[in-house]
Amino acid sequence: MDLTPNDDQIALRTVTADWCRDNMPLEGARARAPDLWMQLDAMGWTGMTAPGMDLDHASEALVFAELGRFLAPVALLPSAVAARWVGFAGKTALALPAHGFVRLFDSNGAARALGLFGDAAGHFAIGDVRSAPSLDLSTHVARTVPPSSIDRIDDPRAALHLQLLAAAFAVGCADAARDMAADYAKMREQFERPIGWFQAIKHLCADMAVRCAVARSQLYYAACALDAGDEAAFHVAAAKRLADQAALDNGRANIQIHGGIGMTDEAAPHLCLKRAHLLGFVAPARPDALLAA
Amino acid sequence: MDIGFSPEETHFREECREWLHANVPAEKRPLDAVDAIDFDKAWQRRLFDAGWAGINWPAAYGGRGLSIVQQVVWLEEYAKAHAPWIGANFVGINHGGPTLILNASEEQKAYHLPRILKGEAIWCQGFSEPGAGSDLAGIKTRGRIEGDEIVINGSKIWTSFAHVADWQELVLRTEEGSRRHTGLSWVICDMHTPGITVRPIRKMSGQTEFAEVFYDDVRVPLANVVGGLGNGWKVAMSTLSFERGTGFIADQVKQSQEIRELIAAARANGMIGDDRIADQLAQMRAEVAAVRAMTYRNISEVVRTGQPGPEASVIRLFTSDLGQRLERMAVLLKGADMLDFQYGDDNAVQDYLRGFAATIAGGSAQIQRDIIGERLLGLPKSR
Repeated sequence: MDLTPNDDQIALRTVTADWCRDNMPLEGARARAPDLWMQLDAMGWTGMTAPGMDLDHASEALVFAELGRFLAPVALLPSAVAARWVGFAGKTALALPAHGFVRLFDSNGAARALGLFGDAAGHFAIGDVRSAPSLDLSTHVARTVPPSSIDRIDDPRAALHLQLLAAAFAVGCADAARDMAADYAKMREQFERPIGWFQAIKHLCADMAVRCAVARSQLYYAACALDAGDEAAFHVAAAKRLADQAALDNGRANIQIHGGIGMTDEAAPHLCLKRAHLLGFVAPARPDALLAA
Repeated sequence: MDIGFSPEETHFREECREWLHANVPAEKRPLDAVDAIDFDKAWQRRLFDAGWAGINWPAAYGGRGLSIVQQVVWLEEYAKAHAPWIGANFVGINHGGPTLILNASEEQKAYHLPRILKGEAIWCQGFSEPGAGSDLAGIKTRGRIEGDEIVINGSKIWTSFAHVADWQELVLRTEEGSRRHTGLSWVICDMHTPGITVRPIRKMSGQTEFAEVFYDDVRVPLANVVGGLGNGWKVAMSTLSFERGTGFIADQVKQSQEIRELIAAARANGMIGDDRIADQLAQMRAEVAAVRAMTYRNISEVVRTGQPGPEASVIRLFTSDLGQRLERMAVLLKGADMLDFQYGDDNAVQDYLRGFAATIAGGSAQIQRDIIGERLLGLPKSR
């Protein structure tokens, strides 16, 4: 039993974080470079989950939490699942089925889309779709009629894989909001001192740190459980639920701590909140998965 | 990262399970400290005789010298078997003993540690005072050095098991005129020394488990100072960091047992059909799983680096709050039956009332948030 990253995993995480910081800063999430996906592809972030790479879910979770911290393109999630379970190498859009239609996210340059249909992951070809802005400013959304045929992935682990990676993205998103809030609380002064001196602010920040630690710990456990095939459905659902809550609650608290600037379009806090809302719809944790014996 | 246990650890788990199955007492532990003391001592002795006391304490002082992972395995099985709370032995096993291991002289360790493990010596803590609660550095109880003795005057409060204890880990001001964290000493005080008066205090759950302690010219040998005169703050902090590190694993693993039982109870009485109840139970089950994950992460950190990681303080804050919500849910599932509670009842209402201590004792939840904000996030110190 060891729930701390080993040296290889720490190195992988560090490389990911360093690259993201230099090439994909969070503040730029609303206007990414047109060739970002090609860069991600070249760096190997899109194909890392392919079967031949032999990367375990624990290492994946660490990397995706870092990518999530910088609000990386959301198509990385379905693309990773498609790479592992279907062997796709290209970009795969995120599909969220609704009543009578399907929402597609990040579909620019994607030939297929993947999402959860009922309990199972499924994918289908997409043609030309008309995209419109979405709540999460890092992606566009397109509506399409429900596909006439969906290729279902029979292995239930594919759906858990999507849930796990979305949880990792949410953990990263929660971390980003916590760090943004703490940095601001150290720098912003009122009443002739940094606002982080006041317990009213400090305790909000502490609660953000608690939510991150709780969600990250369960993410690690869930990734190992999926690797080991040991009560994976429960542990991944628990990880997703806690990660979604951390991302959303930290997203809110971050805006509050920033005060006036926090509610503007110009500042970054709303980007984390909006990403948290999107992730909440990706393979959400169902209460029955958490209550099963 | 992996969540598997080695064959040795798995074998050890089976040993734990077998022994507990055969030895956990059928009768419940009495609630009041005075009634429970014989039970607590007998159970601790039984644990010691069978080799289950001080699993990761050094073998030289009566422990087993096993790994901290094995300690966790033991505590997990202990909770599953519904083994009794170690009660009056809590302070010796979880505070006093570990502090002595880290800070005491060979002579002090050789005398006290085996007695703690055998349940022969009951310890209590002497930190808080009427004017020094969250602000622990405000300690006023003073010790005047006279020859080879310290003469103690003052008072302590919220001292668990003081009225049944043999020894106390007493932090007092030994340097006259010293302020705050300086001039304090950590002293082993014999609770049977003349001049000590103990006034038990009843809790809102009806139990008499803690007390106020008064010192009137109490003479303690200078040789009982641990870690050197004037170093009391440092010595006391080594205990508190232990509390925030691994001292509460038993409570953490117990929660995974409690949530299972709550879900079963809600199924049995049909209340799980209420979506709000089902959602709260689902939430708490996820959180309980996360507590185990956090505990494992923390233990892994100790194995890797020798000490708990900076996030250890988070576990304490989170589990104390979660524990209270579990207790509240247990009472909710009982419905209006809670109104029949009377002092002396040992049931979910008692646990609920007693559980208010979790976010107050050993550093309030607010102090924990200060610590997390300042040490983990680097925010400016408010005090």
